[in-house]
Amino acid sequence: MSESVGVDDLIELDYRKTDKGQEISETNSAKPDLCIQHVSKSFQSKNGSVYVLEDINLEINQGEFVCLVGPSGCGKTTLMNIVAGLEKADSGEVWVNGRRILGAGPDRVVIFQEAALFPWLNVIKNVEFGLKLKGVSSSKRRTIALEYLKMVHLTKFQKSHIHELSGGMKQRVAIARALAMNPGMLLMDEPFSALDAQTRWILHYELQNIWMKTKKTILFVTHNIREAVCLADRIFILSTSPGKIKKEFSIDLPRPRDDNDVNVAEYSTRIMKELKAEIDKVVKCEMDADSCVECDIKCTTVEPVKTDIGGGI
Amino acid sequence: MHNGRACKNGYWGGDLKMYSMLKRVIFFILLAGLWELLFWLGIWPEYVLPSPVSVGKTLVRGFQDQSLLIGVAISMKRIAIGYGISLGVGVFVGLLIGRFRIFEDTLGSLISGLQTLPTICWLPLSLLWFGLNDNAIIFLVFMGAVLSIATGTDSGVKNVPPLYIRAAKTMGAKKWKLYLEVIIPAAFPHIVIGMKQGWSFAWRSLMAGELLIVCLGLGHLLMLGRELNDMSQVIAVMLVIILIGILVDRLFFMKIERHIRERWGLVKS
Ligand SMILES: Nc1ncnc2c1ncn2[C@@H]1O[C@H](COP(=O)(O)OP(=O)(O)O)[C@@H](O)[C@H]1O
Ligand SMILES: [Mg+2]
Repeated sequence: MSESVGVDDLIELDYRKTDKGQEISETNSAKPDLCIQHVSKSFQSKNGSVYVLEDINLEINQGEFVCLVGPSGCGKTTLMNIVAGLEKADSGEVWVNGRRILGAGPDRVVIFQEAALFPWLNVIKNVEFGLKLKGVSSSKRRTIALEYLKMVHLTKFQKSHIHELSGGMKQRVAIARALAMNPGMLLMDEPFSALDAQTRWILHYELQNIWMKTKKTILFVTHNIREAVCLADRIFILSTSPGKIKKEFSIDLPRPRDDNDVNVAEYSTRIMKELKAEIDKVVKCEMDADSCVECDIKCTTVEPVKTDIGGGI
Repeated sequence: MHNGRACKNGYWGGDLKMYSMLKRVIFFILLAGLWELLFWLGIWPEYVLPSPVSVGKTLVRGFQDQSLLIGVAISMKRIAIGYGISLGVGVFVGLLIGRFRIFEDTLGSLISGLQTLPTICWLPLSLLWFGLNDNAIIFLVFMGAVLSIATGTDSGVKNVPPLYIRAAKTMGAKKWKLYLEVIIPAAFPHIVIGMKQGWSFAWRSLMAGELLIVCLGLGHLLMLGRELNDMSQVIAVMLVIILIGILVDRLFFMKIERHIRERWGLVKS
């Protein structure tokens, strides 16, 4: 791990629009860790092909925290699965750390919306799972697992069964399980969207602290703009059908940020404004063509949301 | 309860358990009493209805001269071998059927066809293949259990949430490790259902086999009782067979099932 990169360096790395991650690496070890090049994906359905992703291009630097934001159904999970290697793109390539992705691997662990913990194992054995696959000796993996359980403040629950944990605790175990494998990159697919606001707020704080401590590259998917602003160095906005990268924003705020921070709210409002058109499009798409009256109502109800953007798109 | 944390629930729970146990004991004592009474009335001759006392004596004698013990040991050895093999084969076949379409279409339909065949119908084939010996009986036991275990595993595998498999894959699980560390444990609750059903079929086939093929074991002792016109031996052996069935269920399957319920959170304990 590149210990030389301080937290501040990372935050102050302004966004550079380079095609090949221009030699930033000389002075700083920030080099592109993840390269998504011309990725397209469609699914076959009864009414023909559905184009879900179209020509996605992304570069994420090592140690960067990037959020992908888009309305539900725009293909965020699909893109995540392609990066994870769980699904194949129709065209295009994904490169991680200089190597082309051909399948799933423990160098990019996914954290899913449902924690996906294994009920036949207790908490600590869940955290040890990946290490056991790697063939780490049992005493060593116990030590590592405990270290990460400590990081997510769950040492007390190491012997608990999974069903005894709350939703937020489950996600923290999932994060510990992913970190224990020491992957270069974490892929997080709406990991907090099933949680209540309070828990989410706490986890935003914890995740930022973990990120600052571990310097992992994080690709975080969400449909919630405020969550993205709270967490990300850079935000990519995906438009819907087909999913395309529509815009990107750099967030230049000190960390750890707070969901309710004024600056976070201000950034969210700004992004929200720029997305108004896209939101209207989604709303129109999802409503029947004949229910125009309803559509108008919906559109006007979207507007006042500006003052309360946290709710997502 | 003995660690001093006996709460109200535990206390009442224990009490209720005692109570139902008591009811059961009283019921069986009454049943034995009724049986003794019928015997005492002398409606049927002793070779039709022996007294509970003589059955008890036969049991004690059987254990003293070890004839019963040897019978039990021989039967248990057969079922252990037959059931053990069917466990391995059944889980393997079930995994194939559950995971691969080609095996589902072929082996899967073969198994559902075979399941309609009562196990004892394999006896003639078994005799021709193996002759009048242990192996013929072990084969019957195997055939009794293997289909249930395979179908249980199959349905378990089909019910594994795809999310578990995806999560495991991103953590580097591949090939046989994916089966060993994720698919089999995730399917385990269904596998146990298959194992339990398989056990009861295996136990039945074992007894049927031992009754029909004369070569020691509990079934043979039962048959011997009939040949000697010794009704108390017949009933004594029947009691032993029932007892073993209950013991295996209590000591093995109920424990596993409780363990699963606790792990999976299907019951608050
Ligand atoms: N396996 C699949 N087969 C067919 N269509 C799919 C499949 N997976 C996703 N889709 C479609 O692709 C679109 C994007 O899905 P998804 O990536 O899950 O969106 P998001 O995560 O942004 O909500 C949706 O319209 C969905 O119906
Ligand atoms: Mg999704």
